[in-house]
Amino acid sequence: MLYLLVFLPLTVFLARRETTLLVQLSVLVPFLGLLLAPFLLGTAAGPFRLDGVGLFYLLLTDLIYGLVALFARGYFPREEAWRFYWAGALFLASAHGAYLAHNLGVLWIFVEGSTLASALLVYHKGGARALEATWKYLMLGSVGIAMGLIGVILVYALVGGVTLDWGEVRSLVGEANPEGLKVAFALLLVGFGTKVGLFPLQAWLPDAHAEAPGPASALLSGTLLNVAFYALLRYTALMQAAGLFPFASGLLLAFGLLSLVFGAWFLFGQREYKRLLAYSSMEHMGLAVFALGLGLPWLALFHTLAHSLSKTLAFLGASGILALSHAKEVGRVGGLVLHTPALGVPFTLSLAALGGLPPFPLFFAEFKAVEVAMKSPWLGVLYLVGLGLAFAGLLYPMAQMGFGQGKPLGGRGLDLWLLWVLLLLLLLLGVLPPVEVFKALEVVLWKP
Amino acid sequence: MALLNTLVLAILATGFLMVSRRSLDAIIRLYALQNILLALVSFALAGGEVHFIVAGLALFAVKGVLIPWYLFWLIDRLEVSHEVEGYLSVSLSLLLAGLLTALAFRVGKAFVLPEAPLPQGVPVALALVLLGILSMVSRKKAISQVLGFLALENGVFLMALSESHGLPLFVELGVALDAFAAVFLAGILIFRIKGEMGHVDTARMRSLRG
Repeated sequence: MLYLLVFLPLTVFLARRETTLLVQLSVLVPFLGLLLAPFLLGTAAGPFRLDGVGLFYLLLTDLIYGLVALFARGYFPREEAWRFYWAGALFLASAHGAYLAHNLGVLWIFVEGSTLASALLVYHKGGARALEATWKYLMLGSVGIAMGLIGVILVYALVGGVTLDWGEVRSLVGEANPEGLKVAFALLLVGFGTKVGLFPLQAWLPDAHAEAPGPASALLSGTLLNVAFYALLRYTALMQAAGLFPFASGLLLAFGLLSLVFGAWFLFGQREYKRLLAYSSMEHMGLAVFALGLGLPWLALFHTLAHSLSKTLAFLGASGILALSHAKEVGRVGGLVLHTPALGVPFTLSLAALGGLPPFPLFFAEFKAVEVAMKSPWLGVLYLVGLGLAFAGLLYPMAQMGFGQGKPLGGRGLDLWLLWVLLLLLLLLGVLPPVEVFKALEVVLWKP
Repeated sequence: MALLNTLVLAILATGFLMVSRRSLDAIIRLYALQNILLALVSFALAGGEVHFIVAGLALFAVKGVLIPWYLFWLIDRLEVSHEVEGYLSVSLSLLLAGLLTALAFRVGKAFVLPEAPLPQGVPVALALVLLGILSMVSRKKAISQVLGFLALENGVFLMALSESHGLPLFVELGVALDAFAAVFLAGILIFRIKGEMGHVDTARMRSLRG
């Protein structure tokens, strides 16, 4: 059954280039995934096994993919829609594979697979800028992930070359040479960190997010970054099981803070709103890594969930704005809340959510992190400075695009109701954060 | 042991030559040769175990035959010069390559694990990784960056062989499949870059900034 779940997304290819059928299958597949996966919790087959954390990310990915696939129906002209749905199917299959893989080698293979599939998403129908972004992404992503492979090899060798099964490795790392494990973790952090978009390895991220077509950017930010983050989560748990969490924590906190501060800083120089959102992704992945470094995996999981929903909303809103206004710059779009409320209200609120305003869930996540970070004051202060910068960086775009001067936008058949669904989900999550569920997930990863 | 030492040194030599040669054809041939040598190392380490031999053969088929053939086909179809254009002169590349290799041997010791079956391979593997990165950053043609990546990837493969007899077979094959898919995709992109911009010079692709 788990094999079925991995290969399910490839059934989309049966639709060939029939746009209507492609859309139906691309929505049906994640829907089936959502229905099927919970019943497969705890089952195993070959190198695959589904545990709580894998299930959580699988469901999140399927939910977002389904929403984005629906939205893409109205976004792409009929003759180019197949490019998006084909690349998307490959991407969804590799994401499924990564979340189901319980073998560290297979996890690596699917993470690399997701890089290749998402390169196709970025490329879409080409053009000089898209080509440049894709090339940069492919090269940097491949080199980064090759560094990660060295880390996988070292871990394999350190446990005696007997197994790559995550559960078995976790029970064996206690006896492994700690110096070797530290080298391996540093390489893994660089490798998967490149794909998470951690500073200073983020060079591909803004270009890929800005040049990809809008729905593809939503998939990159809402689902792809999580795939690599999930791998980091698994390896951090291994370090914790080996009693080396203090070492891992130092690196994670440093990379997380750097990504937060620089991501927030870059927000100020951006004129294009999609690039702005890309840097905001870098900043939020930094925050999730920071939460992991604080020793709060449940909070890191929660942060990625909140970020994925907010950023999907923001990128879908941004694609709507781009499709209707044909303007990429913040300054050339204005007054959306007043004259295009169906689009402007959810988009402006998504920027507020990304800025960490209550009652949105990222506020809750950041608040919880500050509470713990304040135990060492300089860490807490740096964190707050970063958050302040990030908020200030989003303030002008929010004011300009929501309430500034601008022409009303003409309508095109976009499914804007999906934005409201996402907004509703975000508000629910912010008002009633299911902390207990996330603490239960943490038990899967963290040894007491 | 003497055989293994010779093979490992020969692999290092191919890595060096790949940095210093100026002709794409020569570099692709060196890459194929490097894969033959790597396959020989994995046979020598196999000790008669069948699945190591199968892995060696499969990898040789993909990386020693399929990828070089694809790359030759690619540069013929592209109709661009077969010369490598780089930012560095040959002598400077060689000097940097020497420094990087010295660095790899210096820090390589920290990577050698107690039970490594081929400890002398570890610094060479690191050197290949660093030389691959050097080729990627110092060359302009998109295809020579792909070759740099492939050299790097061979370093990672040698690392797996040296530290632990290689990864499990199905993982090793998955990795090779990913590498081939990446090269295939890069090839398609290179065609599109040529079609769109009329050149394959990544140094001139700089419209995205900031």
